[in-house]
Amino acid sequence: MINQYIIHILILIGIYIVLAVSLNLALGFTGLLNLGHIAFFGIGAYTSALLTKAGVPFIIAFLAAGIFASIFGYLLVLVTRKLKGDYLALATLGFSFVVYSMLLNLTSLTRGPLGIPGIAKPSILSLVIKSNSAYLIFVALITLVSCIIIYRIIRSPFGRLLEATRDDELGLQVLGKNTFALKCKAMMISAFFAGIAGSLFAHYITFIDPGSFHLAEIILVLTIVIVGGIASFKGSIIATAVIIIIPELIRFISLPSTLIGPLRQVIYALMLIAILIFRPRGLFGRIDLE
Amino acid sequence: MSSVILQILANGLIAGSLYALVAAGFSLIFSTNKFVHFAHGSSVTVAGYLTYLFFTQLGFPFWTAAIITIILTSLFGYGMYRLVYLPLQSRKASNIILLIASIGLLILFENLLQIAFGSEFRSIAYGTIEKGMSIAGATITKLQLVIIFVSIVLLIVLHLMKRTRLGRNMRAVADNPKLARIIGINDRKIAGYSFLIGSALAGIAGILVGLEQNLHPTMGTGLMVKGFTGAIVGGVTSVPGAVLGSYILGLVENIGVWFVPSGYKDAIAFVLLLVFLLWKPSGLFGIEKGVKQ
Repeated sequence: MINQYIIHILILIGIYIVLAVSLNLALGFTGLLNLGHIAFFGIGAYTSALLTKAGVPFIIAFLAAGIFASIFGYLLVLVTRKLKGDYLALATLGFSFVVYSMLLNLTSLTRGPLGIPGIAKPSILSLVIKSNSAYLIFVALITLVSCIIIYRIIRSPFGRLLEATRDDELGLQVLGKNTFALKCKAMMISAFFAGIAGSLFAHYITFIDPGSFHLAEIILVLTIVIVGGIASFKGSIIATAVIIIIPELIRFISLPSTLIGPLRQVIYALMLIAILIFRPRGLFGRIDLE
Repeated sequence: MSSVILQILANGLIAGSLYALVAAGFSLIFSTNKFVHFAHGSSVTVAGYLTYLFFTQLGFPFWTAAIITIILTSLFGYGMYRLVYLPLQSRKASNIILLIASIGLLILFENLLQIAFGSEFRSIAYGTIEKGMSIAGATITKLQLVIIFVSIVLLIVLHLMKRTRLGRNMRAVADNPKLARIIGINDRKIAGYSFLIGSALAGIAGILVGLEQNLHPTMGTGLMVKGFTGAIVGGVTSVPGAVLGSYILGLVENIGVWFVPSGYKDAIAFVLLLVFLLWKPSGLFGIEKGVKQ
């Protein structure tokens, strides 16, 4: 019982590490103020769930989730390319709201508020991942591969160009770099990983509805990235573990189950506000968010 | 046919009036502070629930409950300013940090209300449900007329306030905070006043929304999106612009749901918001300056 519980928490941590590190790639390393990251997560989850329901093999659905989210990432940068600061942040927030209402209203495709139940556990070739412990190994593997790829990206010359885009876009343009293309690539990579994280989530929980991807859900991943530190790879990973585990402690106080969800959100929000006031760079951050 | 059009116009006017109250308070705060106070939405929700608490649960007379609500909501907004925004501003935090903090506040109060009052819909239950009257073919209830009337009166009062000393100082701070400080205007005090007045407006909006619709802890986000969109459409730095933008939004939404399923109502607002952000971020009546920073 306790074991199962720990496995559950570890799986969630794995999924959220992918989500947080990918958000940090866009928000921290490239300076794209994306508050709509949760929408990519949702797009990935729905893509993967609907494709496997239609009989597509899991591995293809899994990759399609990332690619489809990535296409939306491209569109988002394309549409908002002229916006900066608050206005970009709000436009991306708006994007996640539009995606949420589409998930809710395209009932012929998404079943709207009823959600999609009975999403199959992943099967790769003839290997079916049934038990949670097998799923944990699968998630750990994907998380590790994702982290290595993103780490390689941020340490590469391309990654340095992304950071230069954040710090001095005009200067980089003077040097003849196409900053729009850089932003597009960063957002697409970021959205891709959010999409596959969505796929991991959907096939683990086996039920998704639009509520899991509502605007309010952005608070968790945003808190993780800010507590861990803007543009800190290590920070995002450590913060994910800390921030997922802390609210789990309230489970041990006997509270009515209806209170646990809101109480958890309260804890996230308080952590976010407190870190902004008292330690704005987060635990391991190197730069301020501007 | 013409009665359908009239009904749509009436619905747009009612929705627009509520949005205008949210937008007016929001844009008042934005103009003197220059950051997006997204948690203005929670002021509206808190006001709705305060009325529910004092009037429906504790049985206060309606007007007493309403006045207590407006005062407490005003202080609630001011409290957010003093406890969260002011420390951040003194540390010279960027506007984006303030925006993220305000989203944190919005979600914080949404969930605290859910813990306190539960996630069921609540109704203030003032007066009896009556059949709407018919004005030139459009059906409209007395309450809805009151909503339109109250918002128009408040907006006129707000307009007249421009001429007072406080109004002048506010406009000075909105226009150029440094210059205002040089001529001896305490810009922090003015920012505090704008939170007090803006949140009081949110209080009135919350009461009216509570009377017209049901209360739900998460309603603040949706209302804030509408108020914010209205403010951007009209020009966020101009209170009259924000009000007019809200009426435009109310109308566009209600005309829009004639063509697309009504579930997309919120998406319509966001598409309108996006169009304006891209095409004319200063809004229809706003001043260009300071918007693109």
